[in-house]
Amino acid sequence: MDVSDSVLDHLRHVAALPDLSGTRYELECEIGRGGMGVVYAARDRQLDRRVALKVLDAALAGEAQLIARLEHPAIVPIYETGELPDGRAFYAMKLVAGARLDGYLGGSPSLGERLRVIRRIGEALAFAHTRGAIHRDLKPQNVMVGEFGEVYVMDWGVEAVAGTPAFRAPEARLDRRSDIYALGALIEFMLAAPGVAAAPPALRAVAAKAMRADPGARYPDVAALLADLERFQEGLAVEAWSEPLGHRLQRFASRNAVLLWLLAAYATVKLALFFWQTR
Amino acid sequence: MRGRFDPDTTMGGPHSHFPSTQLSLLEAAAAGLPDEALERVIALYWKPVYRFIRMKFRKDNEDAKDLTQSFFAAALERDFFARFDPEKASFRTYLRMAVERFAANGHAAANRQKRGGEVTFEPLEEQAAAGESPEAAFEREWQRQLFALAIEDLRAHCAASDKQIQFQIFEAYDLAGGERPSYAALAARHGIAETSVTNYLAWARRTLRMFVNGRLRGVTSGERELREEMRRLWM
Repeated sequence: MDVSDSVLDHLRHVAALPDLSGTRYELECEIGRGGMGVVYAARDRQLDRRVALKVLDAALAGEAQLIARLEHPAIVPIYETGELPDGRAFYAMKLVAGARLDGYLGGSPSLGERLRVIRRIGEALAFAHTRGAIHRDLKPQNVMVGEFGEVYVMDWGVEAVAGTPAFRAPEARLDRRSDIYALGALIEFMLAAPGVAAAPPALRAVAAKAMRADPGARYPDVAALLADLERFQEGLAVEAWSEPLGHRLQRFASRNAVLLWLLAAYATVKLALFFWQTR
Repeated sequence: MRGRFDPDTTMGGPHSHFPSTQLSLLEAAAAGLPDEALERVIALYWKPVYRFIRMKFRKDNEDAKDLTQSFFAAALERDFFARFDPEKASFRTYLRMAVERFAANGHAAANRQKRGGEVTFEPLEEQAAAGESPEAAFEREWQRQLFALAIEDLRAHCAASDKQIQFQIFEAYDLAGGERPSYAALAARHGIAETSVTNYLAWARRTLRMFVNGRLRGVTSGERELREEMRRLWM
C-alpha cells in the first residue's frame, strides 16, 4: 500500500505516543526530547496534579531505577516508575516550573548568581557520583532553574547516551571525569553569556582545568572543582591558576581592604605624631 | 487499500508477512539463512533503492528497475552480508553506498544495452518538486516502506485474530489521506461507544509500533543498531 508523506508523519507521531491506559496518568502534551526518551506533561488523576512523564525504550528501564535512587535537592524527584503496555518504560517526576538554564541566562543574572547555580549543579553531580551514577549529557538544556531560584539537573544519562558535542569530553568511554569536563564547559558557557562584562581569569582557569583533554589533568572529582570555586568566592587563589604577581597583590588588597585602610590610618597618625614631636 | 501497488515499482511486489520477532541480519546469516534475510531486505529496500537510483543517476523508470533488480541479484550471488561490518556503519548506510557503487559502475546499464534496450531519460519532476537529495529521498522512502509493510502486518494480524473492526477504525482514522472523521462519527458508523474507538486506536497504534520494530529488527545487525534505528524513527 502507498503511505503518503502526511500519513507517514501522522503514524510516526501517534504510534510513538505512550498508551497510558491502565495507569493513573492522562497525557497532555509533549514538552521535550532528550537523552534517550521523550518527556510529556501529564495529569496524575489520583492526586490531581501535573507531572512530567518520561518515556524510554524498554532496554533503558534501568535509567528510571538509577534516577529514583538519586534523592537530592538539585535532582528532580521521581514519583513513580512503570511499564507501558507496549513494553516501554516510563517514570513520572516533578514538573518543574521555571526556565532552562540557557533561557535563564537570557535574563543576564549577576556573576554571583551564576556561581550559585554552578555550585548547585556541581553539588548534584558530586552526590550522584557518590551513588555510582554519571550524568553523561550535562548541558544547559538539561538544567532547570525554578521560579524560586531552585536548580534541578535533569535527564540523567544511560550507557547509550553519547553526549552533546560542545559539552562532551573527548574520551570515548565516558566516566565521572567526563562529567567534570561537561561542568567545565557549562561554566565557560555561563561566563560567556551576556551580562558579565569580563569573566575573571581565575574562573576561566577553573573551567579550562575541568576541560583538559587528558582526563588525568582535570580535577580529580567534582568536590575539588567546587573547592576551587569556593576559594575564588572567598578571594583566595584558585588551584587552577598560577596568577601573576600584580594580580596577586590586587587580590590581596581587595581581600584585606579593611586591614590595609587601618594600617594606612595608623601610619598616617604615626607620621603626623612624628612631625608634630620633631617640630 | 490492500494490493494497491505503485505500477512503476511492482517488480518489488508484495511480500509475505514476517513475524514481529525476526532474527537480526547477522543472526540470520549465522543461522545459515542469508537468503531469508535478503528477502526481508528486498521487501523493505526495493522501492528506496529504486527511487535512489532514479534520482541519483537520473535513470528512467525501466533502467532504474533493471539496476535495482540487478543490484539485488548481485547481492544474492555475492556474499553481501559477510562484507557488512556493523562497527563501521548502519546496514542502511552500507546498503545505500553499495547501491551507489554498483550503479556508478554501470553493470546494469551495460547488461541492458547488451539486450538492445534504449536508454531514455524522463524528466524528474518529482525530484524538482520535492527539492530533496537522493539520499533524503532514500531515507524517506525507506520509512514509507517500513510503515507500509508494518500496516500489512497489522492488517493480517487483525484478520487472523478477529479484530477487523480495530483495523477498520485505524484505517479510517490514522490512514485517512484527507480530513479525519471524528471519534463520534466512527463510533456511530460501527455502532460502538466512543471510548471503544479510542481504545481500538490505541491498541492498533501500539500493535503497529510493535510490527514496525519487528521489521526493523529483521534488517539491522543486532541490538545496538536496532536501538539506534528505533531512536531515529520514533524520536
